[in-house]
Amino acid sequence: MSSQTKEELDAFRAEVAAYLDTAPTDAIREAGRKTTSAFAPFEQGAAWQAILNEKGWAAPDWPEEYGGTGWSAEQRTIFEEEYRKQDLPPLLPNSLKMVGPLLIDLGTEEQKAKYLPRILSGEDYWTQGYSEPNSGSDLASLKCSAVADGDDYIIDGSKIWTTFAHKSNRMFMLVRTSNEGKKQQGITFLLLDRTDFAGMDVRPIKGLDGHAEFCEVFFDNVRVPQSGRVGAENEGWSVAKHLLKHERNGSANSPVLVRYLKRITEAAQDETSPFGGKLSDDPVFQRDLGALHADVTTLAQFERLIMGGHEMINDPALPSIAKTMNSELIQRVSVMMTRVAGLEGLSMQLDALAVGSGVDPMGSELDLISMPFYLNSRATTIYAGTNEVQRDLIARSLQIA
Amino acid sequence: MDFSQTDEQKMLQESVKRLLERSYDFETRQKMLQSGRPWSPEIWEALAEMGILGLPFAEEVGGFGGSMADVVAVAEPFGAHLLIEPYVSSILLAGQCLAQSDSPAAQAQLAKIVTGEQTAAFAHEEGKGTADPALVSLAATEAEDGFTLSGEKRMVLGATQADTLVVSARTRGTAPDADGLSLFMVDPKQQGVSIRSFVTIDGRHAAHITFDGVQIPSDRRVADDAHEVLQTVISRAIVALCAEAVGAMGALLRQTSEYASTRKQFGAPIATFQTISHRLADMKIAYVKARSCLLYTTALMDAGRAGAPDISILKGQIGTLGREIGEAAIQTHGGVGMTDEVSIGHFHKRILTINALFGDSEYHFRAVGKSLATGGA
Repeated sequence: MSSQTKEELDAFRAEVAAYLDTAPTDAIREAGRKTTSAFAPFEQGAAWQAILNEKGWAAPDWPEEYGGTGWSAEQRTIFEEEYRKQDLPPLLPNSLKMVGPLLIDLGTEEQKAKYLPRILSGEDYWTQGYSEPNSGSDLASLKCSAVADGDDYIIDGSKIWTTFAHKSNRMFMLVRTSNEGKKQQGITFLLLDRTDFAGMDVRPIKGLDGHAEFCEVFFDNVRVPQSGRVGAENEGWSVAKHLLKHERNGSANSPVLVRYLKRITEAAQDETSPFGGKLSDDPVFQRDLGALHADVTTLAQFERLIMGGHEMINDPALPSIAKTMNSELIQRVSVMMTRVAGLEGLSMQLDALAVGSGVDPMGSELDLISMPFYLNSRATTIYAGTNEVQRDLIARSLQIA
Repeated sequence: MDFSQTDEQKMLQESVKRLLERSYDFETRQKMLQSGRPWSPEIWEALAEMGILGLPFAEEVGGFGGSMADVVAVAEPFGAHLLIEPYVSSILLAGQCLAQSDSPAAQAQLAKIVTGEQTAAFAHEEGKGTADPALVSLAATEAEDGFTLSGEKRMVLGATQADTLVVSARTRGTAPDADGLSLFMVDPKQQGVSIRSFVTIDGRHAAHITFDGVQIPSDRRVADDAHEVLQTVISRAIVALCAEAVGAMGALLRQTSEYASTRKQFGAPIATFQTISHRLADMKIAYVKARSCLLYTTALMDAGRAGAPDISILKGQIGTLGREIGEAAIQTHGGVGMTDEVSIGHFHKRILTINALFGDSEYHFRAVGKSLATGGA
């Protein structure tokens, strides 16, 4: 698989490191250190994406003809590692990892030309309209309707858990266009050019961590053009399944966990064990840290095998296995973070957490992010298909018919 | 690094699988265990003929210069069939120690091991899971024309049948000094060697051995400054043992999935109940993790980049994940899983044994965490 020599890869690493040393602004760096979610602070994330796009590095895994880098799997891993070393904010995923790849695969030429450049630059941000108050894991039961009227659809209903809908200017969504046949039939995939069409109302929802990251979006006779449809009418379910492949098969997730673990390890060297001495010298802490590090390392090993094209990539359960492993490991890392922070994690410090607030945290930076990170991480086993649904899919691959 | 098997490795693995499918089904193995035979000489001979015994050795000593990935390719089916032949003890531990030596006595002995004509046992363990060779304390005192060995070795696999023992001992210093370790070749019938034989939970013949003033001529010392040799040999044996465990885990996953898909209760296959299906999913996740870690660590080793923490991560993961899979398999089989008559419990006992050898998962996880927390890695 590898076509580059060690020297070439080392030179590439040096080039990436040198660029990342200088390109981000202070606000972007601060946003990275204060990221407590899979979604980085919105404004700094977008600013950082614009800078990376100038360099041509906003979407390393896209095909080159659409603005990707053409890097090898090793180069992408190196980029990810260097990126995480500097605690830079992750780029927001909806546009780059979901709509973009979907349009590249299934969009019309017109849709590609219209949307892809603005997705790369970060000028557009797309929120995802899938779940509804009564359609979560059973997504195909969704009811938000779109009725054809001339060249338009009229949408009625609501969508929920639409991350950053209040900051997005566009939306991709699933709507019901028919009630005939199985519930998976009759669903259509739509792109909305705006999030402020007449009759659309976006309500941010405050989460456990005190931040409004997700929203509910209401549609009351909202008229949108049919040209925003991806795929045929009533065939949106297969479009959504195609997109899911991108969402679950994304790039390496382990480097960020490696980095969090390093921050935890460093913090433990400054913490006192209740049994005396430093927490980092406590044998139980050492064993638990070692076990967690082993699991993070194994996730990295798994990801490298997959990126290297190992035959297990052919297992239909693989995306679900990857999602389950990654999401549960994020949660365990977050638990370890709160364990090291201890009491210091209990103070609400939303002002200190806000980028550019100039408010000093009361304890360490790890104390500051630990509890919001832990609370936000409860979502990892719920979103993108709950882990219960993932386990159903994994088990299906094991059943002998 | 390349993680996929080469065509040669695939062929090698296929030929081992075919041999074991033909001649090493569970019932045959059960009969052998019940007969009290320590292992099957026919299988041992077949493995010799196929070049599997010589696989890890250099061509100069009659071997095939196989890589770690080659050994892993054969060790996975060994685990899936619960092979009790002394591959790890005679070939990968005792044999590889001898292969690192340029002493004529060691080379002569090695030649007989590579052909399968004789076996050797590795007398190293002293009862603490002795993952770090520096913990060895059995004394080798310099005497006229050689050394005198005094002390005890425990859990020496294949000792009762071995033609020679490869013994780690300390000529100077005290544990945990890395300095002062040597390897000796000892005839198990020699005066002063007392062997207490037993059978392990996974059907292997082993022994505790007491050395009471055993006189060893100088030319039977096959290595001094042996810490590094021991570490290398043990690390590679750990990877092979982990490959066996992964083979056993794969068999448990497959057999448990089949059982749950056919066993009916309340009018339906139990695999259709979400509690059971999620347990099966967890078994598969654990298996994918274990196998990923194994294959990656194997590639690291072949690239000369596997350090002590990498080996500890593998050993820790395999012990933990293996126990998870084994316990889930027994629970899913219900009462049947508790019997000696089905293979499930046998796989589990093999995995438990592998976990306990050369440091269990708790030990290795702490070793990894300690090294991180104190800035060692």
